[in-house]
Amino acid sequence: MAFHSHPSLKEMLMNGEKTKETTGFWEDVKSFFRSDLVSYIIKRILAIFPSLLLISFVIFIVIQLPPGDYVSAYIAKLQGQGEQMPPEVIAQLREDFDLDKPFLLQYWSWIKGIIWTPSNTSWYRLYHSHHNWKYSFSEGKPVWTVIKEYLPLTVGLTLSVMIFQYLVSIPLAVYSATHQYSLGDYLLSFIGFIGAAVPGFILAIICMVLAYKWTGNPMVGLFSKEMLENGIHWNNLGEFLKRLIIPFIVLGLGGTCGTIRSIRAQMLDEISQPYTLTARAKGVSESKIIWKYCFRAAINPTVTSLGTSLSHLFSGSTVSAMVLNIMILGPVLYEALLSQDMYLAGAIVMVQAFLVEVGILLADIGLAFLDPRIRFSGGSR
Amino acid sequence: MAKNNQSKEAYYVASQWQLMGRKLKQHKLARISMVILGILYFFALFGNFIAPYGTIEFDSIYKDSSPTKIHLYHEGEKVGPFVYKLSKISDKKTLRVTISEDTSEYYPVHFFTHGEPYKVLGFIPCDLHLFGVGEGSSGGKGARIYLFGGDSLGRDIFSRIFLGSQISLTIPFVAAAISLFLGVLLGAVSGYFGGRVDFIIQRLIEVISAVPQIPLWLALSAAIPAGISTIQIYFYMTIILSFINWTGMARTVRGKFLSLKNEDFIMAAQLSGVSTWNIIWTHMVPGFLSYLIVSVTRSIPSSIIGETSMSYLGLGIKPPATSWGVMLQETSSVTNIVSHPNKLIPIIFVTVTVLAFNFFGDGLRDAADPYK
Amino acid sequence: MDENSILEIKDLNISISMHEGLLTPVRGVNFDMKKGETVGLVGESGCGKSLTCRAILAINDKKCRASGKILYNSDEKGEIDLLMLDPRGKDIRAIRGKDIAMIFQEPMVAFSPLYTIGNQITEATLLHITKDKQKAKEISLDVMKKVGIANAEKRYNQYPHEFSGGMLQRAMISMALVCNPKILIADEPTTALDVTIQAQILELMKEMQKDFNMGILFITHDLGVVAKMCDRVNVMYLGKIVESGTTEKIYEDPEHPYTRGLMGSVHKIGQKKTERLFSIEGTVPLAMNLPRACGFYERCDARIEGLCDREEPDLVEVAPEHCVACFACPHPACQAQRAAAEEMIRREDGRTGGKRG
Repeated sequence: MAFHSHPSLKEMLMNGEKTKETTGFWEDVKSFFRSDLVSYIIKRILAIFPSLLLISFVIFIVIQLPPGDYVSAYIAKLQGQGEQMPPEVIAQLREDFDLDKPFLLQYWSWIKGIIWTPSNTSWYRLYHSHHNWKYSFSEGKPVWTVIKEYLPLTVGLTLSVMIFQYLVSIPLAVYSATHQYSLGDYLLSFIGFIGAAVPGFILAIICMVLAYKWTGNPMVGLFSKEMLENGIHWNNLGEFLKRLIIPFIVLGLGGTCGTIRSIRAQMLDEISQPYTLTARAKGVSESKIIWKYCFRAAINPTVTSLGTSLSHLFSGSTVSAMVLNIMILGPVLYEALLSQDMYLAGAIVMVQAFLVEVGILLADIGLAFLDPRIRFSGGSR
Repeated sequence: MAKNNQSKEAYYVASQWQLMGRKLKQHKLARISMVILGILYFFALFGNFIAPYGTIEFDSIYKDSSPTKIHLYHEGEKVGPFVYKLSKISDKKTLRVTISEDTSEYYPVHFFTHGEPYKVLGFIPCDLHLFGVGEGSSGGKGARIYLFGGDSLGRDIFSRIFLGSQISLTIPFVAAAISLFLGVLLGAVSGYFGGRVDFIIQRLIEVISAVPQIPLWLALSAAIPAGISTIQIYFYMTIILSFINWTGMARTVRGKFLSLKNEDFIMAAQLSGVSTWNIIWTHMVPGFLSYLIVSVTRSIPSSIIGETSMSYLGLGIKPPATSWGVMLQETSSVTNIVSHPNKLIPIIFVTVTVLAFNFFGDGLRDAADPYK
Repeated sequence: MDENSILEIKDLNISISMHEGLLTPVRGVNFDMKKGETVGLVGESGCGKSLTCRAILAINDKKCRASGKILYNSDEKGEIDLLMLDPRGKDIRAIRGKDIAMIFQEPMVAFSPLYTIGNQITEATLLHITKDKQKAKEISLDVMKKVGIANAEKRYNQYPHEFSGGMLQRAMISMALVCNPKILIADEPTTALDVTIQAQILELMKEMQKDFNMGILFITHDLGVVAKMCDRVNVMYLGKIVESGTTEKIYEDPEHPYTRGLMGSVHKIGQKKTERLFSIEGTVPLAMNLPRACGFYERCDARIEGLCDREEPDLVEVAPEHCVACFACPHPACQAQRAAAEEMIRREDGRTGGKRG
């Protein structure tokens, strides 16, 4: 089914093969780039850069918002620990961070740190900055080092929660839509409403209390001490999976319920479309109408909202992860904000926004594959 | 026959608002939510009157106490609703100090008593409270009535919920008002002028909505200076919350502007020489006002969650002021909650409010849609 | 059932139960279709013609309850009552698209936008004729060429949004014809199209009818189209057939005031510009909680007060192949019906009057 739905893609590739025999390699490449789908994807990828630039600018403003500047926050922190800093060191620090330069230059020096500079080039030696994205004093490391530490778990957890969301919500939503006004539909709608509305961190608190009451263990954190020492292996896999239950429920429930609601509504919309009648009049079976026609059309908005749901997931997981003590970027952001470590805080928000932008990009590309109209019109969000 | 026609006419001229109200009434959950929200806001408005104690009044003996029991019979005799005082009792054998009810004298519960002074609606001085505990039967003092128990400092959770709701329930509204202003302004500019202005505003909206909401709110909250008054913090928070929320409204306004701009009736108005300003206000705004109200209502739950999260993390409202988020800080220790489940009561209030706003918003949305 | 008949609808009732009451948009419809003939079903929007034709394929919404008989005379399986088949079952699905095909009003929305035209046409072929994909494609391409789709090979792989409305209607016709059906139901197939395209599509349908030798049930509100296409016409009003007969009879000698009204509202060549087109006052009432009266009573210019608002006339034959349901029609058969109805009312009045007295 998936295959014969993209004949134009197939045709495109076939055309490519044909031209290969008759014309040169460059002709082939040109025809490839001229095809609707490819040119759309390229356009879309290029469009991400201005967005990222604008995002970075907004975030840099946020970084600059707190009263005082980075160095004064740093000094305040040191003073809090009873340390004094000689004035020449302070002056040196101010220069290092370009604090006395105009706003736009400061922005440029910050953005320069974001762009990764390979260390073996002369360009690197020329513009080498010791601190990519500046230095995080609350962690005592360069910002990128801190982020690198927490990024794999953040991305891994977020992605698996997202996959979990779709695996659970799609069959339930289709059931709900095809059994409209049945008991199951009412039940799912009700749970969907509640689940989408209850704030994640409140759900986290409730889950922890319940877990503590039932098992005597609040199941805080993804890894037990033993796991951190020995890594995850067969013996503690069960324990690890158990520890995953609450985070998945807490992080995934909101998105699952939202997805169920949107797919259900979309399915009901599609089921009432005239083309289902055409298909039925052709003698197509009900289940094929549902899956081949209605479902395929109904998931398009869900694919479109992939980026948004990623954003919601980051948003919702920030406070929940703190409650559940899962060391992903959210809690690190909180620590950074408490000590006014704005470079780290800004970088974390920037990384999350970047991931969301990538999500939106992938969603748009996915949609171009799924919906021929997007390719044709050049796409719109 | 003529009469019949008239009643038909009456149906057809029912205004958009009447139709919306009618549909909203049919939406059962929205109706219930409306009642709940009405009650919550009423309580917030008269919070000082309903709460028997102030936000910072405390009594260390009532630390972590469970809800005060209200008794009717004292030594087998019916004396109406009353409470016993909590006091320390040291066991002479084990020398352990326990806190329990001192049943030697009773303290009747009075209604409309005088207590902590406050100002009604912020300016009328008053000290009347809905209820409170009077003097003991043998002239003792110091008994308290904590309907939802005490927190870790010995303050009344019941009072703090209603006093906290004055902040938690109003911040979203002020934030919504600010974002409404920003949204309508920028959305209208974007939709009406189009072109480059539209392009820039649209990119800005796109960018702001790509950044995850709560992390951005938290990052923005770092801009709140330390050591400022509660009112200033309140003001900062509304601005921070509306910093993100205006984008949704601007989108709604712009979308409606664009679709209305090409409608025939707008063209007709233009051709008959109505001024641009007049077209916007008398022909276009009424066309999407209902959508705007829906958009505002639907932005409120996330603002409530935002305020609660920020205050919960200590980045928003700070003690001595209180909000539901501040109260939730008490729930950070699981073992403590399990032994004092009454500390979860603020969670119920947050959840019910968010749910009610969601249902109400959905009801409004359905009612505003003329094609449903 | 008549040997020559291929489709016979007997006393078809369709009702929808709603919160406000029972809606009966189709009330006792009878007509039949002979092999290779074109039968028209004419009426304003909301008169129940679409529901009637969808009931034949049992593709109405679940909420619609149909009763009566829809007899289909199949060459292989003999006489089948389509209403008795499970609407989601295999038997009816084998008939849909294969024996009875349907084309719809708005070609722009009748195709799924997500699949190519070829895919959607071949789907029917694969279901009913052959499982071989290559063969199915060939058959589809063949029919596509037949209905006048130029460059069919290229068109086969295109999506609906790349087609014009007229081209899409051609594609839809080819989708309906691909399995060589015995009956084609055309539900206002040209309403959404430009006038020039309309004529082309109608011409095409006539041609295809000859080629495939099928019966066409033509649903429309456009009397001009009916005159061009149909052998026999059924005029429907408020869920009932009020007049039926051969096209010539109906056009030359319309008996029902509603039919006359419809005729009057068609612009005729040679008509003076200043002359206003006749229009029927009012709209079709909602078919809910209907009183016992002629449905057309309130809008009728020949109504008989005290009779038409008390009784409902039946369809009676006034000439061979011409039936009318009207008390005001001067024909003897109608007058006999009128006399009987008046007698009934008199008796009824006498009874209630007597009681009062």
